[in-house]
Amino acid sequence: MSDAEPDAPADFDEAVYLQLNPDVAAAVSAGSSPTGRDHFLRYGAREGRRYLPGSGEVRAPVVIAMASLRPDGTRAPPPPGFGVEAVRMSPGGGVFVTGWVDDATDPLAALLLQGEGFEIDLAQVSLARTRRRDVEDKLGASERHPYGFWSFLDLGRQMPRQGTLRLVLRQESGAGVTVEAGVLSMPDTDLRDEVLAWLATADYFGDRYAAAVACLDGGTGAQLIASNLRLTNAIVAEPFVERFGPQGTKPLGSLVVCLYGRPEFMFVQNALFAGLPGIEDYEFVYVCNSPELADRLLRDARISNLVHGLRQTMVLLPGNAGFAAANNVGFAQARSDRVVALNPDVSPRQHDWARRHTDTVAALPPAQTALFGVPLYYEDGSLMHGGMYFDIDSVPVEGRRRLVRRDLVRVEHFGKGSPPGSEDFVRARPVPAATGAFLSFRRDWFERLGGFSESYIFGHYEDADICVRSLMAGTPPWLHDIRMWHLEGKGGVRSAASEGASFVNRWQFSRAWAGAIRGGLSLPAPAPGRKARR
Amino acid sequence: MKVLLLSVFHPDLVRGGAQQIAWELFEGLKQVPGVEAVLLASTDRSLPALYKTGACITGFDGRTDEYLFLTNDLDPWWHKSSDARLVEAYAAFLQQVRPDVVHFHHFMTFGIELLTLTRRVLPSSRIVFTFHEFLAICAADGHMIRRTDGSLCDHATPVRCHQCFPEVAPERFFLRTAYMKSHLSAVDVFTVPSRFMRDFYVRWGLPADRLVHVSNGQLPPDGAGAPMPERKQRNRFGFFGQLVDAKGVWLLLQAIDLLRTEGFVAFSVEINGDNLRYASDSRRAEIERFTAAEEARPFGERLVTFNGSYHRALIAERIARIDWCVVPSVWWENSPIVIPEAFLFGRPVIAADVGGQAELVTNERDGLLFRFADARSLADTLRRAASEPGLWQRLASGIAPTVTREAMVESCLALYAAT
Repeated sequence: MSDAEPDAPADFDEAVYLQLNPDVAAAVSAGSSPTGRDHFLRYGAREGRRYLPGSGEVRAPVVIAMASLRPDGTRAPPPPGFGVEAVRMSPGGGVFVTGWVDDATDPLAALLLQGEGFEIDLAQVSLARTRRRDVEDKLGASERHPYGFWSFLDLGRQMPRQGTLRLVLRQESGAGVTVEAGVLSMPDTDLRDEVLAWLATADYFGDRYAAAVACLDGGTGAQLIASNLRLTNAIVAEPFVERFGPQGTKPLGSLVVCLYGRPEFMFVQNALFAGLPGIEDYEFVYVCNSPELADRLLRDARISNLVHGLRQTMVLLPGNAGFAAANNVGFAQARSDRVVALNPDVSPRQHDWARRHTDTVAALPPAQTALFGVPLYYEDGSLMHGGMYFDIDSVPVEGRRRLVRRDLVRVEHFGKGSPPGSEDFVRARPVPAATGAFLSFRRDWFERLGGFSESYIFGHYEDADICVRSLMAGTPPWLHDIRMWHLEGKGGVRSAASEGASFVNRWQFSRAWAGAIRGGLSLPAPAPGRKARR
Repeated sequence: MKVLLLSVFHPDLVRGGAQQIAWELFEGLKQVPGVEAVLLASTDRSLPALYKTGACITGFDGRTDEYLFLTNDLDPWWHKSSDARLVEAYAAFLQQVRPDVVHFHHFMTFGIELLTLTRRVLPSSRIVFTFHEFLAICAADGHMIRRTDGSLCDHATPVRCHQCFPEVAPERFFLRTAYMKSHLSAVDVFTVPSRFMRDFYVRWGLPADRLVHVSNGQLPPDGAGAPMPERKQRNRFGFFGQLVDAKGVWLLLQAIDLLRTEGFVAFSVEINGDNLRYASDSRRAEIERFTAAEEARPFGERLVTFNGSYHRALIAERIARIDWCVVPSVWWENSPIVIPEAFLFGRPVIAADVGGQAELVTNERDGLLFRFADARSLADTLRRAASEPGLWQRLASGIAPTVTREAMVESCLALYAAT
């Protein structure tokens, strides 16, 4: 006879658990977990997840009013099915709301969010719709309709802590309901990450990825970018800078490396670059997006200085500013006129790479070296990158009773997976773009371009973006044959929030450049390898 | 000429072959006119009282030219020190001692970056490095045993290593190799005590012309060469070594079980060694089960005696009790010093037929080789050794003189002097 099945604690509350664990709420709404209780019993208890709220942290939404009359005085239909699962706020003015509404036959007309000092119609400003399998089951719905909704707002100012917010829902028929919901307060960056993770894990109809990207059109994308920009600006405002090694002469080149989550890449990279011919003309600038690694990195930098004697600058940030902003800070700290954005998992495949790089810059016309990338190789010897090009995926996304064309730009690498000796892919030539894993800039050109765009969250697409801007400004990026290893994707850590960020980035990159790319840009002569293995 | 020797541990603090050989070299060099030898031996927190507040390097019990390196905060994957003070202390020590030659016996516990640091602090010094296993190549304790099935590994690649560590991506092994090689590039000459190991490192990519075979040599322990006690039967076996998985004492116990099951009990085995705490949970449990069962038998029916650890001064006494020395290691081994030690006492050796042990033992001349990691083969070999008339005498008389400490010192001096 088996033991009795364990049960959740007596004070376990399904709604509270889902509010405190939005990823679980997303899993339940997507049908991958039947209930919050089931999740808690299977995983949550073992993972130490919270199921009890802190004092005043979560309060079950309370219906406080139902519209009974239309504006013209006629009686409104009964209130719709409506649920609010989470309302979160951050001190910097971020607001995140998730819930569902039965508006399959009576479309949502307005969704007012009312708080102390503000009232905003989410339906006008920021609203995304998602699939909710749990609601479909509950309503017995047979029609494909996105009952779920979520919204993220950047109020753009510091907000006092608010215990409750009101949500006023109105449908086209005049039906409505007002709900008061408790607010969970959380730090700005935590809230951003939670929203991004929600974006990445929520459920949608049709092509899940395309639908997730498309749902950012409803204002959530713009709000997320605005919010992240403010967070990033605050993070990079006062970097902690420590310099090691000889600082007397101005270096010929600066290698700017953004670190996130993996401190060992600094001393490993130091070891792999040190002692190679020409490296004495370069400096390293490491920018750390993981404040918890600061002590260790400074210690390692001290050791590395003793062991290798490289010129090195450590720039420590109090949070994750993302690739673009961190590199912009690193470039500002660099002391040379030639600045290279370098991934921490890139190392020389040619022992004289530094001399080759220096000679390339010195020997070629400025237009060919204003911005250039290099061939990168996987550790298995095959080519990983011989420049980048763009394709457009046209995906049908389900709208209200129609399919809407959605153009998503895809960034591909020339020659990915090709044998090492694939000369067509590695020969010097102009290319539409090159990866930020190794991107060499003439400093003044980088500055004229305005640096990497910091509207891209964490990382992804900002390298393609600056390359397209360069191209549009009349200077196409080049690829020059200086070969490096690249352990792609091994230089940092990935999370659901990172996935969500890449959705936002692809959304904004596509909005910015799909038209130009479809029109052919002013691409250099046709490059080989459009049909390269991917 | 001033020679600084870096030894992983001090043999008077932690027993082990690598530190024993470093010590032999240190003692040997001290006898050479015109040579000044300094020993810097690492220690760890197993002896916390040796750590003096704020100190990174200290003397050792008032001994002349012997120092302890008080290791701390080592990254076991990259073999890198994370203690900047310790690294600074080493650099200052180099500047103070100013050796002409720095001879590393291992990078373990020190950090491999000290090789590059040595080159930077003393650009004109000669750096010599002695390999004692495959730690630079293999992240699995440097043993090159495949974790997938316990078989011997003869070459490492990122994907093969990933198979041993499924949680670690191949790229990380690629980086580890590149990292190790970058620091090893500071070395002028490598020595390897066995020829087969030299081949491994050449295949791995180290320059063949900088890899030199130098046999381990040692001064005979006290009592070596004493006349062999007369016994009617030569059926007493001895194991000398650590009780960790790779040394294979568990294989020996399995072979004993097989023989007992078959009714062959006309032999005895003495186990000398400790560090069972470093064995894997499963092997430790296996050994403990065997020990408990053995102790539960009437004294006269016991085949195995566990004597515990031993210091070098006790070797003569322990070895006098046995006829054969068994080396059941389940890895390649390098050049296990227990084999020449057994030979110095006139004991033939029973060992696995691979790697360093097979290089030191010649089958049917000074010992017997059994099939690697095969308890059945080991059991058959033990049975034959214990029962075949005249076999012991023939093999004991086939033992050739072992490499002396002086020979090893001479070989090293030649490398130190080479330009």
